[in-house]
Amino acid sequence: MKLPPFAYRAPESLEEGLELLAAGEGEARILAGGQSLIPMLALRLARPSLLIELRRVPGLAGVHEDGSGLRIGALTTELVAERDPRVRAASPLLFEALEFVGHPAIRSRGTVGGSLCHADPAAELPAAALVLGAELTARSLARGTRTIPARDFFLGPYTTALEFDEVVTEVRVPAPPSSQGSCYLEVSRRPGDFAMVGVAAAVVRGGDRVLDLRLALSGVGDRPRLLTRDELELEGQDSPEVLFGQAGRSVAARIRPPEDLHASAAYRRHLSRVLTERALRTAFERAALQGGAASA
Amino acid sequence: MRPRVPAERYTGASVRRVEDERLLTGRGTFVADAHLPGMLHAAFHRSPLPHARIVAVNTEAARRAPGVVAVFDGAEMTQMASPVAALGAAPGSGGPVSFGILAMDKVRLVGDPVALVVAESRALAEDACELIVVEYEELAPVVTVEQALDPSLPAIFEELGGNRLFGPEVKVFGDVDGAFARADRVVRASIHQHRHQNVPMEGRAILASFDASSGQLLVRASTQGVNTTRQMLAQQLRMPLDRVRVVAEDVGGSFGLKFGASREEAACCAASRALGQPVRWVEDRWENLTVSGQAREESFEVEAAVTASGLILGLRVQMVIDSGAYPGFAPLVVDIVREMIPGPYRLGALSFSSSGVVTNKASYVAYRGPWAAETFVRERIVDLVAQELGISALEVRLRNLATRDEPPLRMVTGPSLAGITARESLLRAAEIVDLARFQERQLRLRDEGRYLGVGFATYIEPAPGPRQEGGEGNTEQVRVELDRDGLLLVHTAQMPHGQSHRTTLAQVAADEFGARLEQVRVMVGDSQQTPEGFGTGGSRFAAMAGGAALHGARRLRGKVLEAAAQILDLAPTDLDIWRGELVGPGVPGGGLPLAELISRIDLAARSGQLPPGVDVDLTATEDFDGGESGWSGGTHCCVVEVDPDTGLVRILRYLVVEDCGDLINPAVVDGQIRGGVAQGVGAVLLERSAYDPEGQYLSATLMDYLLPTALDVPHIEIEHLSPVRLDPDVNFRGVGEGGMIAAPPTICNAIADALSPFGAKVLEQHLPPARILELIGATSA
Repeated sequence: MKLPPFAYRAPESLEEGLELLAAGEGEARILAGGQSLIPMLALRLARPSLLIELRRVPGLAGVHEDGSGLRIGALTTELVAERDPRVRAASPLLFEALEFVGHPAIRSRGTVGGSLCHADPAAELPAAALVLGAELTARSLARGTRTIPARDFFLGPYTTALEFDEVVTEVRVPAPPSSQGSCYLEVSRRPGDFAMVGVAAAVVRGGDRVLDLRLALSGVGDRPRLLTRDELELEGQDSPEVLFGQAGRSVAARIRPPEDLHASAAYRRHLSRVLTERALRTAFERAALQGGAASA
Repeated sequence: MRPRVPAERYTGASVRRVEDERLLTGRGTFVADAHLPGMLHAAFHRSPLPHARIVAVNTEAARRAPGVVAVFDGAEMTQMASPVAALGAAPGSGGPVSFGILAMDKVRLVGDPVALVVAESRALAEDACELIVVEYEELAPVVTVEQALDPSLPAIFEELGGNRLFGPEVKVFGDVDGAFARADRVVRASIHQHRHQNVPMEGRAILASFDASSGQLLVRASTQGVNTTRQMLAQQLRMPLDRVRVVAEDVGGSFGLKFGASREEAACCAASRALGQPVRWVEDRWENLTVSGQAREESFEVEAAVTASGLILGLRVQMVIDSGAYPGFAPLVVDIVREMIPGPYRLGALSFSSSGVVTNKASYVAYRGPWAAETFVRERIVDLVAQELGISALEVRLRNLATRDEPPLRMVTGPSLAGITARESLLRAAEIVDLARFQERQLRLRDEGRYLGVGFATYIEPAPGPRQEGGEGNTEQVRVELDRDGLLLVHTAQMPHGQSHRTTLAQVAADEFGARLEQVRVMVGDSQQTPEGFGTGGSRFAAMAGGAALHGARRLRGKVLEAAAQILDLAPTDLDIWRGELVGPGVPGGGLPLAELISRIDLAARSGQLPPGVDVDLTATEDFDGGESGWSGGTHCCVVEVDPDTGLVRILRYLVVEDCGDLINPAVVDGQIRGGVAQGVGAVLLERSAYDPEGQYLSATLMDYLLPTALDVPHIEIEHLSPVRLDPDVNFRGVGEGGMIAAPPTICNAIADALSPFGAKVLEQHLPPARILELIGATSA
């Protein structure tokens, strides 16, 4: 379990990093917190010729907030993001998802950008990013800066819309509507493990009614997908409780969950229904606390 | 000599571990910490296939790779070391099998070592391993017991003529047919214990250093016993014993894995001898999980003859053990399972059939309480009997447990049950958990859709077990000596790897001799000075080594007092050794430090001032068999809540009521119990050594082989019963294995109780959430 041979560079500017990445022609990889990449190297499942670490590049880590939402630097560690009161206040769903990422020791190295770019289908942050309508800022020498909405970013297991020469520099998380409640729930074999099933849910509430809902699940497919009311083909007239039950059944019918050592496909399907219902119910209750009940 | 009051004794007190300061400040020395000048590093090219014939091995490119010093394939290794003879193939079953240190003609499991690369670093050795090309002719994998018994599948060892390793061997105790004829009912179950494994923090490791000048091989080993390791290495390397020295420093856990020497470790010694340079191999986690060894995979067909009132009259048991690829420990396990299956119960009749098979999986190794299946099967059957009869499981246990005042106090398989406190432990556990009140709460919560369950398991553990006919000579040897500094050196063949022997043996010796604790050094882990004995295992430490140390310290104390009396012209009965000084009326200055006393004895002996017959050899060697105290045991009780929507199990309460005799160090005892229970929690809820149908290993990282973390292990309440003291001196008993023996059935019984409203029947030990939902019918299997 020793790493295979590779070259290592830690440039001091983003431009230099982008040059190295472009020159690598797909054989170079960005090393962020290393919580996934290093074990993959140790198991010799990945063999990049060059690792580029951007920790010496200024300005890639940090949380900023303005009225429209959060901007989180890609190299912000998950622990820093989790402990930042602005994240908790402006994006409770992101905060809740962060708490499910590994253990504090892992989160103190792992980064928000690294987790999104690694695109593990069972990871928490991609599902949360979808429900939050997050946008990723990508930079390359060839294309300059572009913005990729989360819903266009995740293409498959460990596969994203990033070109080989692109680096994510920032994640923008828009402020949720005031009448929205959210919830992240997951079941894993042990606390801190990847989800067997994880559900990120957001509900916009008007009085006793559900005005809108959004869902994304981790662990149940090749990538997390954003599921809206329309995509779930939910009837709008029902009571929230009936609607959540419908949503759970609809989710379970739509996914093609994998089977592995930890859970059968049938178990993941069952759990998707149970957790979808639970997460939506909790999100709806929380929306009331945030004033959604009054806005009807 | 005045009798000591308990407050003046180390024994029985939770004195602080002498090991802790070194280990907790990072000053421990494990094999990976050991360096020698010119040291080379080993890595193995391993089979990616579970079962294949080797057609050709090409090591050319690897030999030319950067940093590579040597590459050895199976054929070359055979010239350098003798094949390993496997234990236990029964006579008539095709004879014992033997196999090369490295695979030669075929590979028998994923990870089988095919070639050894020795290079300047482990990373370079691994790079070179990737350049080795092996041509294989694939054979059908034999993955399950059913496949092993299928004659159409290829034999893993041709000389066995199939894949049955031994059996079926049937032994009958008592009147089994009569018991079944008298029974009101026969309860039947197929019970399975899944494959899981030892995962020590430090895997297997060795640093072999052959000195061409002296012809001596010096081995730094990670082992449970230096003598056994020395013996096996000498045999495989065809070297005289005196040319092999095995030294062990800190050992980072084992749980039964590290007895003798593994094939890889022998290969490193052979390579060091061939190259004349030190060779180190430290197993990585993939190797540890995939090839070091696995345990526990056993299945049982059980029939219980019971009366309507819940009396269990007899058992018929058929056991099959899956020995994995290279036979070793499995045949020994079935013998202990058979003997132990009656446990502390008045079972009158037993028919026991045992068989073993080989499969293309990791080899079966000992794992903490290797015979634990006897408790799992028995305690599950007791609950199943209770369920079928509609009697409480507590009631069935109480009706069947042996009581000390009721003869014959003996298992139907032979061993005496003298001194057991199983019944007391069960009654006390039921009292602490307040069973009646719990059951009210359980019923009330069911109406709210919450499912709680309670489970018990009662067991005894040979620690080391009662004296038995034919057991003579099964002793531990301890040599106690006084050095010139007045230090008491206690030499034992026990090899601590987490058990705190350096503290607990010192406590016993210090008390008996009259030394201060810090004046005692427990000496372990060097075959040049370690006494005879195979090492740590089988819960031999407390009673056997503890007893030998006690008797050794007592005899040495007698010698010292005798000599001191001569020198000082006092009566030995007026003298005492207390806290490291000779004291007594007439002793000059009121107390004579040991170091000073020793030089005076030495001087007197040299100058002929002592009368003949006074023994001034200040050492004492004692062998001890454990005395009259044989059994540890107790009852575990667990309360769980199962979420019927997710299958998640939460342990709400875990209670241990146990008796391991007199406690040498209560904190150490509790640590042993907690560690064992943690592994039992892991076995039931998390840990499984899983193979796919093609024989590929699925649990090869710690993301797949799930160990319990601090977040998964509940608070464990422990109560110690006061023991029945049968021996005049030594009433300590081993406590290393009981936690792991009793926890799996306890937790499974609790889960089964929680699931009873669903009509679920728990016949297996591994109950992850997905399986629990299958059992209650929420998802299909």
